[in-house]
Amino acid sequence: MRQARWVIAILVLATGTAYAAESGGIHGTGRYGTAGCGLGSLAFGDQKGAIQILAATTNGTFGTQTFGITSGTSNCGESAVGMAGTKTFIEGNREALAKDAARGSGETIDTLTVLAGCKDSKAVGAVLQKRFTALFPGEGVAVEKVSEAVIGTLRTESSLACGAIG
Amino acid sequence: MKHRRFPFAFLCSALALASVRGEACAADTVPPLGPEAEDPYLSELIAAARAQGLGHDKAWLRLGRWRPRLLGGYESEADGADFFLAHDGKKDPAAELEAMLRGLFAPEPVAPADVRADHPQCRFPARFAYLARRLGLDQARIPLRSCPRFADFWRRVSGRSVALVFSSYYLNNPSSAFGHTFLRLGKSDLGTPGERFELVDQGVDYAATPDTSNAVLYAFKGLTGLFRGEFTARPYFYKVREYADYESRDMWEYELALQPDELAMLIGHLWELGQTWFDYYYATENCSYHVLGALEAVAPRLELLSHVGKVTLPADTVKALFANPGLVRAVRFRPSGRTQLQARASGLTGSELERVTELADGGEPEAFSRAPEAERVRLLDTALDLVDVRHGRAIIEGSDPAADALRQRLLERRSAILVASEPLAIAPPRSGGPERGHGSMRLGVGAGASSADGPLVVLDGRLALHDLVDPPAGFSPQTQLEFLKFRAALLPRSRTIRLDEATLFQATSLNGFGRLERRVSWKARAGAIRVVDAGCPGCVAGGFEVGGGPAVLARGGALAAAVTADAELLGAPDLRGMAGGPLRPGVGPGGLVRVLVGDRVALLGTASWRWLPLASPRTTFQLGAIARLHLGAVSLAAEWRRSPIAQEGVLSLQVFAR
Repeated sequence: MRQARWVIAILVLATGTAYAAESGGIHGTGRYGTAGCGLGSLAFGDQKGAIQILAATTNGTFGTQTFGITSGTSNCGESAVGMAGTKTFIEGNREALAKDAARGSGETIDTLTVLAGCKDSKAVGAVLQKRFTALFPGEGVAVEKVSEAVIGTLRTESSLACGAIG
Repeated sequence: MKHRRFPFAFLCSALALASVRGEACAADTVPPLGPEAEDPYLSELIAAARAQGLGHDKAWLRLGRWRPRLLGGYESEADGADFFLAHDGKKDPAAELEAMLRGLFAPEPVAPADVRADHPQCRFPARFAYLARRLGLDQARIPLRSCPRFADFWRRVSGRSVALVFSSYYLNNPSSAFGHTFLRLGKSDLGTPGERFELVDQGVDYAATPDTSNAVLYAFKGLTGLFRGEFTARPYFYKVREYADYESRDMWEYELALQPDELAMLIGHLWELGQTWFDYYYATENCSYHVLGALEAVAPRLELLSHVGKVTLPADTVKALFANPGLVRAVRFRPSGRTQLQARASGLTGSELERVTELADGGEPEAFSRAPEAERVRLLDTALDLVDVRHGRAIIEGSDPAADALRQRLLERRSAILVASEPLAIAPPRSGGPERGHGSMRLGVGAGASSADGPLVVLDGRLALHDLVDPPAGFSPQTQLEFLKFRAALLPRSRTIRLDEATLFQATSLNGFGRLERRVSWKARAGAIRVVDAGCPGCVAGGFEVGGGPAVLARGGALAAAVTADAELLGAPDLRGMAGGPLRPGVGPGGLVRVLVGDRVALLGTASWRWLPLASPRTTFQLGAIARLHLGAVSLAAEWRRSPIAQEGVLSLQVFAR
């Protein structure tokens, strides 16, 4: 009798926990495809519904495959001073950078200033803020267009003296 | 990079310059090509290694993750065969050491296709550096090889510092509920001295690679080591965007005081780890375990894994750092998106907050465009943070065009005011980081009386982690997360043992239902519990319970009150459940009030009422109150419970341990 009692307890438990694990979590749409280094492309590129389980298993929402230490390092694997690193940084921080640009200041602008080798982050912030609408027209625009436009602005605005993206 | 032959920068740093004999670190000395068949120097080195017993040296064992086996001998935790050069390297550290020494003299591979075909000097730079140091390798007598792949990684990392990062408890994701830890390799040579650009650092973490989308299979595989765990490296900004923005988790960064040679060894060792995989065990050999294992391997002076229990909780790994005096050089706090929103909102008046929510709802507050510039900046900045906290996920996923449009409108309005926002300075929370948290295991013993059973001796305990009235330091005051909790009472009068509770897990997430965010609080519990009404007095029933509803929080969460709509299901053979069967569903309201007075005193009151359709009895209820006085690792607790068939009170002593 004791045993039967525990069997029922365990059965009820098993259904309950399975349900709890199934519900919740997030679902991606795959809209971004594999383009650029944007968060959307990393998180939701080819995974669609599996993203939920991915999130639940890997301790991370954004996929791991493209960031092996020794193999297959994607172009998004590094953000360093220079053109390529600046592009990766802009694409990977698109949403955060847009917000900082609208505010004219912030951590992503400070970092962008260093990566592009510009002189002064206050000046960079002021330029991005002033040109905001042209540079960040909204999420509907491909992330490479955004990085292209931002880099173009930094290069042409000679007062910024962004030496690393020549 | 000019170091095409071998990353001399690495070898020199790893050896801390002095210990290489010969042309120490003058690079570019081209050594003669060594013959492959048993170079006399190789024989010399093998003899020296044997004489020193290096094959079972602590540092060597750590580099290869060899652990003593229960029945003698060793076995490495690394499961990828590529991690070993010797045929039986997984189980024979001494054989692997000799294979590595032989490997150092191996001929230059012809156009290696991938890292596995690279020269052993390049594949295992940390092992190479270890042997170079311990055997005092003579550079002139070993043909040094060029390692373009490793040199590229070395340059990509440009490591100048290392921090262990703890991203906070995240109840919405089962695998992150206990938090997550990983490494940040800092490039501090950017910009001017003193400035920090952490976003371009490299984040290195160890995580499972799942191969199933079935939840039950996932749980099973995660717990039994059937997933592969691998190390990955990516720019730190991806981690910040993921944890701080996307999941709104605060991050704690513990900057480690590693010596320059230890840091170089770490980078070389991570390169080695990147070539293998481990069976991933969610509870034991998880992210935190392997991160500590990597640190221990490159700094044998540290004792880290011996400070965590069999179950490796991320918070315990932070405590393990502090168990090595001087290891943590600095602690930094990176506020999540929600914490930033709260900081901005805390400076606003009630009417300003109203206008913020109006903006974030897409409306136009009255006379907004005529408000002073500074005020408009303040309100728009807060509204933007609010929109991101509310819709950030959907915007990144691209699933909510209306939210995109709303955010874009606010961004454009904000950018039209050509004033830069002041940086937001946010102090770390008063409750502190995970290092201040109590031990996750709790054991209690107490005595009391029950109106039905007479005197009681109560034993209770819990494996992990925290409830709403445990010592608040180091934890979120809004979260309960408990695994494997039990409570039993010895009844002297009837000389029996009464099982009160055997809970598998119990979680509560209290979220303020306020002006800015209308987030629902929720709770869930699964396990066995004693039935305390006429349905089956004294039966132990298995079951689960869920509930959700609004909560009010004040004083940073120290005061909390919640009302929930609950549903539960109990099952026991003798239960007079639905239509007389063994299953008894119930629904009804629940509520709780919790008060924290400083770090010492915690009070909790709970109440629930249930309607039990087609069961006998038709309704039931429970009331409870707990008061705890926290005195370091020990707490005094007073508890009172009332149910339809009894009421009881218990005084107990609670002890917290790792």
